[in-house]
Amino acid sequence: MARLSPAGTTAGGVGTVRGSRGAVPVGRAAIGPAGGADAQARAANRTAWLLVAPAVAVLLAMTIFPAGYLLYASFRSFNLMNPDAGRFVGLQNYQNIASNADIRQSLLITLLFVVLAVGIEVVLGLGLAVILAKQSRENSIAATILILPMAVTPVVSALVWRELFNPNYGWVDYYLQKFGLIDVPIDWLGSSTTAWITLISLDVWQWTPFVALILMAGIQGVPREPKEAAAVDGAEGWRLFWDIVLPLLRPFLAIAVLLRVLEAFKTFGTIKVLTGGGPGISTEIVNLTIYRTALQDFSVGAAAALGISFLVFLSIAVPQLLKVLARNTDLVEG
Amino acid sequence: MRGSPREPPHLSSERQTLARFVQILSLDTTKFDFYDDNLLRGEARRRGTGGPPSDDAIKGVPAMGYRDDRLVAILADGARRQLSRRGLLRTAAATAVAVPALAGMKGRRAAAAPARQDAAKPTSIKMLYATVEADVEAIKLMIPDFKAATGIDIELDSQPYDALQQRAFAELASESPFYDVMICDTPWTPALTGKLEPLSTYLTNPALNDIADLALEDFIPKVFYDTAVYNASAPNLQFPAQEAVDLAAIAAEGFDVFGLPLQSNALTLAYRKDLFENPAEMEAFKTQYGRDLAAPDTWDQFLEVAKFFTRPDQRLYGTTLMAGNGDWATDDFKTLLAAWGGNGYMIGDEFTIDFNGPEGIAALTYYADLINTHKVTPPGVTSFSWDTASSTFASGLTAMSMNYHSEVLNPGVEGEIAYALVPQQVTRGPHFGTWMLSVNKFGENKEWAYRTAAWFTSAASQIKMLQTQLHPSRASVYEAAKTDPGALAFGNFYEVLGQSLAVGVGRPRLTNYGAVDKEIWVAVNQAASGSKTPEEALAEAAEKVTALLKQEGYPVG
Repeated sequence: MARLSPAGTTAGGVGTVRGSRGAVPVGRAAIGPAGGADAQARAANRTAWLLVAPAVAVLLAMTIFPAGYLLYASFRSFNLMNPDAGRFVGLQNYQNIASNADIRQSLLITLLFVVLAVGIEVVLGLGLAVILAKQSRENSIAATILILPMAVTPVVSALVWRELFNPNYGWVDYYLQKFGLIDVPIDWLGSSTTAWITLISLDVWQWTPFVALILMAGIQGVPREPKEAAAVDGAEGWRLFWDIVLPLLRPFLAIAVLLRVLEAFKTFGTIKVLTGGGPGISTEIVNLTIYRTALQDFSVGAAAALGISFLVFLSIAVPQLLKVLARNTDLVEG
Repeated sequence: MRGSPREPPHLSSERQTLARFVQILSLDTTKFDFYDDNLLRGEARRRGTGGPPSDDAIKGVPAMGYRDDRLVAILADGARRQLSRRGLLRTAAATAVAVPALAGMKGRRAAAAPARQDAAKPTSIKMLYATVEADVEAIKLMIPDFKAATGIDIELDSQPYDALQQRAFAELASESPFYDVMICDTPWTPALTGKLEPLSTYLTNPALNDIADLALEDFIPKVFYDTAVYNASAPNLQFPAQEAVDLAAIAAEGFDVFGLPLQSNALTLAYRKDLFENPAEMEAFKTQYGRDLAAPDTWDQFLEVAKFFTRPDQRLYGTTLMAGNGDWATDDFKTLLAAWGGNGYMIGDEFTIDFNGPEGIAALTYYADLINTHKVTPPGVTSFSWDTASSTFASGLTAMSMNYHSEVLNPGVEGEIAYALVPQQVTRGPHFGTWMLSVNKFGENKEWAYRTAAWFTSAASQIKMLQTQLHPSRASVYEAAKTDPGALAFGNFYEVLGQSLAVGVGRPRLTNYGAVDKEIWVAVNQAASGSKTPEEALAEAAEKVTALLKQEGYPVG
């Protein structure tokens, strides 16, 4: 295996590679007598490079080059319809972003959306997971039904939501009025607070089951012995859950939160369909801004700079989040 | 489709790579429009259409041809220019072949150029079109007739609005010859003049006007100039005079024609005729307001009528508005701005910001008050698009509705619809914007593409298209609509549409109109939803629009 590795990167898995100075010395030792060994090692390396070449080519073409081009474009004033007028503008696009209050607000509300939506999903998902963790026929049926919202395309769910929250015909206002909770219909998408409630409720409906299923698997995997030992010591109910089950669930919580946070930052279709960023720009998350800039205004340079800025923002925010979440777990090293 | 042998041979340059990227994305984003109920609304409206027009109605179109002697001079000049261009292209091609080492990529482009001039009849013409907004059913209706007349198939590719814009821009930016004929919306054209084929030499060449009666003077002048006449080197300029279509004047001013108008949209006021003519309602209104109940002619009357019909307990409101985030909110606002005596274009010829003055504030205050003070609109109006406004009116929830098209009530709603011009205040200035069929500058069948555009926009074609709710661009078609059974199925809609176009106000010509438009609709939406006062919202929008104009390199006045 080591002989096939061009630079030790694939040899024997991560643990094996660590501390090695590369594949060639290992290869030499494995091949045996000196003399022809160098030539054989070189031939082996060539074979190795040939074998990984397609993967490297795909990586270069599909990831490295576009990322590099994105960076290049972000330093240019570049409109798709007038590319000949494109010119190097240095950090101008980034300065525009930094000085644009709307974009700063856009980044802030994106963060707020992610924190609120994922926070609610984790709390509700944990509650659901506790209820469904007991293995019974009813629970397995319920767990199956739980998967359904995840299977709905986000755009379709947003269209359904739009009708459900329609103040003139929607079920939500109808039943709120029927049960006497409100006197006049609420225009859900008409004010920024209610628009956010609508958007977050959709995200929570769609993705709480995802969190619940992960945590349910976690709860079912908690070993019986610590729970029994705690019970012998007198712990029960809430105390047992808080001190024994929850700490053991921490890796599962971290996985659920990580996956949801990454997905939530990518949210686009539901918000585009449901509010289009409105009212005003109160729900215009950064993905919508990038979309408008790149695909409606065709300002490729500005959109590239915004994309890069968002990437940097995520690169700083997500590892910090992971550090907090994954303390005492194996998810993050160090 | 992408693997067609007519794909552009040169996709390696920066702009083409990017454009392809946008094309790929546009395929993906199509889904957002696809699931939008715009399509369903379009279908629903079409279900209410009448039968085909009689042959007599088609025969009734006045035959129109060239009547202006000045055109003869242009014709000769056009022929000279074309010959000269051909000569140049041949030279370029010969050079490219003789010096292949120097020609490189450019040589390939130059060598390909003469083929584009080849007028050989193609077996098919590829047309990019809008699914709902420009009435694709009208095109579908005429395709068999076009085939019968020319023997050419139309390969029609229709897209919802957002996807259409992305496709059109990406195709043109990549200089792709894939589409021969493309539908263009007015807000796009300032950015596209360098990519669309100028048509003056085609319009004046009798050999290219052999399958349709061009009758340029039949186009409604305001529609023709606003939609198709641009100065390619300064696309922000409006053509100064718009009394009659005059190719000589267009050429003399340094302008050209970049397409032929087809779907003329203007805001009209639809109202429930059954309610307005109900004796009990008429009596009650007269008692309350001391005048007869009628379609409002002024915005003051509009408010009275809207108040009168607002009865939430009966699930009836005065009017819809298009106050949600989108171009439609800007169109509502600019209509009121013009009515209050402001510049309905919103941006002046010298790039002055004309929408946040006293007229703009008064207009937006009136608009926001309809929603927040007088509450004559149904709940949810601040997230209405043109489409939701239409479906709300169709469901019988309002007595009036302003929109770009005719309306059809839902089957469960018993009633009748009539139309009126949108009201006036100081003056009248309904928003209007027209689509046009343009020839792809990089296409391989440009002459036949032009013939196709001319045929589909001819009076005879447009009259037949009336049955599918086409909004005509020609005066003679509005005349024909008075007796055409297909048009009469929509009551007095065509009569009102024609009158609206005559007094309509178009959009400013900005290459970044999309971004400017967004800042204005955000202001309208903020004022409508009460999150900002009209003054604050417009002042903020003015500041942002000023920055956008400067970024685009316009000398802001």
